[in-house]
Amino acid sequence: MRDVLRKRSGRGALAFFMGPSAALVVLFYFVPVILTFLIAFTSMGRTLLWDFIGLGNFARLFGIGARDPLVPRILVNTVVFTLGALPVTVIGGLLISVFSMRVRPGAGLFFRSVFFIPRALPPVVWGFLWAWSFEGTRYGLFNAIRSAVGLPIVQWLIRYPMIIVVLANGFLGISLAMLVFSAAIATIPRDLTRAAEVDGASEGQITRHIILPLLRWPILTMTAWHLMSFLNSYVYVMLITGGGPYYMTEVWSLYAYHMAFVQYRYGYGAAFVVLLVVVNVSLLLLVLRAFGMRRMLTRGKIEV
Amino acid sequence: MRSRNWRRSLWYLLLALVAAPFLVMYVGFFLRAFGEGMTLGIIPRQWGITSFRFMWQPIAWGLGRTTMWAAFGNTVVFATVSGLVVTAVCMLAGYALSRVEFRGKDFFLVLQLILHAVPGQILLIAIFFLLLYLGLLHRLSGVALARASLEIPLGIWMAKGFFDGIPWDVERSAMVDGCNRFQVWYRIFLPLVRPGIAAVFIWGFLFAWHDFIYVYTLLPGTIKLMSTLIQNLLATEVVDYGYLAALSLVYTIPPLALFVFLQRALLKVPVFGGKGTA
Repeated sequence: MRDVLRKRSGRGALAFFMGPSAALVVLFYFVPVILTFLIAFTSMGRTLLWDFIGLGNFARLFGIGARDPLVPRILVNTVVFTLGALPVTVIGGLLISVFSMRVRPGAGLFFRSVFFIPRALPPVVWGFLWAWSFEGTRYGLFNAIRSAVGLPIVQWLIRYPMIIVVLANGFLGISLAMLVFSAAIATIPRDLTRAAEVDGASEGQITRHIILPLLRWPILTMTAWHLMSFLNSYVYVMLITGGGPYYMTEVWSLYAYHMAFVQYRYGYGAAFVVLLVVVNVSLLLLVLRAFGMRRMLTRGKIEV
Repeated sequence: MRSRNWRRSLWYLLLALVAAPFLVMYVGFFLRAFGEGMTLGIIPRQWGITSFRFMWQPIAWGLGRTTMWAAFGNTVVFATVSGLVVTAVCMLAGYALSRVEFRGKDFFLVLQLILHAVPGQILLIAIFFLLLYLGLLHRLSGVALARASLEIPLGIWMAKGFFDGIPWDVERSAMVDGCNRFQVWYRIFLPLVRPGIAAVFIWGFLFAWHDFIYVYTLLPGTIKLMSTLIQNLLATEVVDYGYLAALSLVYTIPPLALFVFLQRALLKVPVFGGKGTA
């Protein structure tokens, strides 16, 4: 019987099924990476002319010769932004999923829905919500409430821009992390927690010694996932603060975008992307080493 | 028991404290869209639909003007094209990855996961030049194709999952009866994975509908979509937040309806036994 299925489906059939996806992956992932590397070595500007200038863009980026005074600040911003949003997402997502499992099921579902909403909103709307809520005039949501109860108006986006973009991104991450953690907690066999309960373990002890160790794999996945996600994220920052005020929230990838599409210095912007790609690939190799390729093919399982 | 009750209320309190600002934001958003004349910050004096006047009035865009319907129509076309591309490509690849043995299959699957983890938006500069040289820049179809490719990695995994759910016996009997791979795929499998087709299409459609950075960067002002329209209004000097909230609602609700549908479709996965041995 096996012969029928083993019958070689020729190259033609394989090309028919796999061709389109392989072509699109090559065209829109591999070609752009190569193109980015090439452009980074040119002074590509408004004229769109290929003018190779060697390592000029990278020299400027690293402060050799003519230096870009903004680079150190952008580097610090990126680190603060990434390392700020990551714990918000992972720890926040963990706490919310653990707590929402402890309260009544209906209430738990309600809270999880509230924290899931950001994922269902388009980026522009999520950005609008934050920009409007923290607007520095009395038309902004929180300022309207403040002035209604007699408190002075706060220029949120000028005084706390980084905190706001970190929270906006962090809570977007929470919506995914919470979903993954809650699903993982739900698959933990009841016997384990019951047995611990019978032995007199408190809920805190159960969480610390049973649930958290079993969540090791989802926590690792979500941490790696969001580390990469925040490192490359610029759309929400762009929509909420636009990188401002005065570069206070300008992160690496946003700076690359601004260089290319606002200042029309495509070559210089591409140099920033090249470094970002290098960091991404190194991170990916680290993650792949830690997780193993085989485990990625059968991912998302809790090991009991 | 007493301490347990006390602790339970502490969890309620903690969850409520974190959720409160968001609830205020969401409720404020709705009140702003449907209310007129705000008192006490966010309490509307009366209800009305003046904020929805973009339904019958033109919208200023720079020195020119446009209508909400034009942007809405463009968004529908953009998201549909993108969704169809994702569906066609993933339904083809998903079948082969589920059923056909070939060299490099595992590598391709892991590659898709890796590509899904790398946010495609950082390659935007190169995509800009790629589309420029392909003559697709500033074209709805070209940008939709580029946008679709971002969702293909996960779409392939989704499609493969749906094909995996179909028993080998179905395929075996079809092939014994003389079908070739293409006929098996087209005549037997596609009708069986209809929920999968719906799910993958909605997946591609949804992300293209939500997209901002691709259409903002790669489509000029002449092709306006809902996302760029909202961003454009948000970037003007005087912002009417009620108007924007209403416009955001009209932009957000249709895909949310699709979300609900997506869940239904996902629940209807055919479950007649696992994949047999072959």
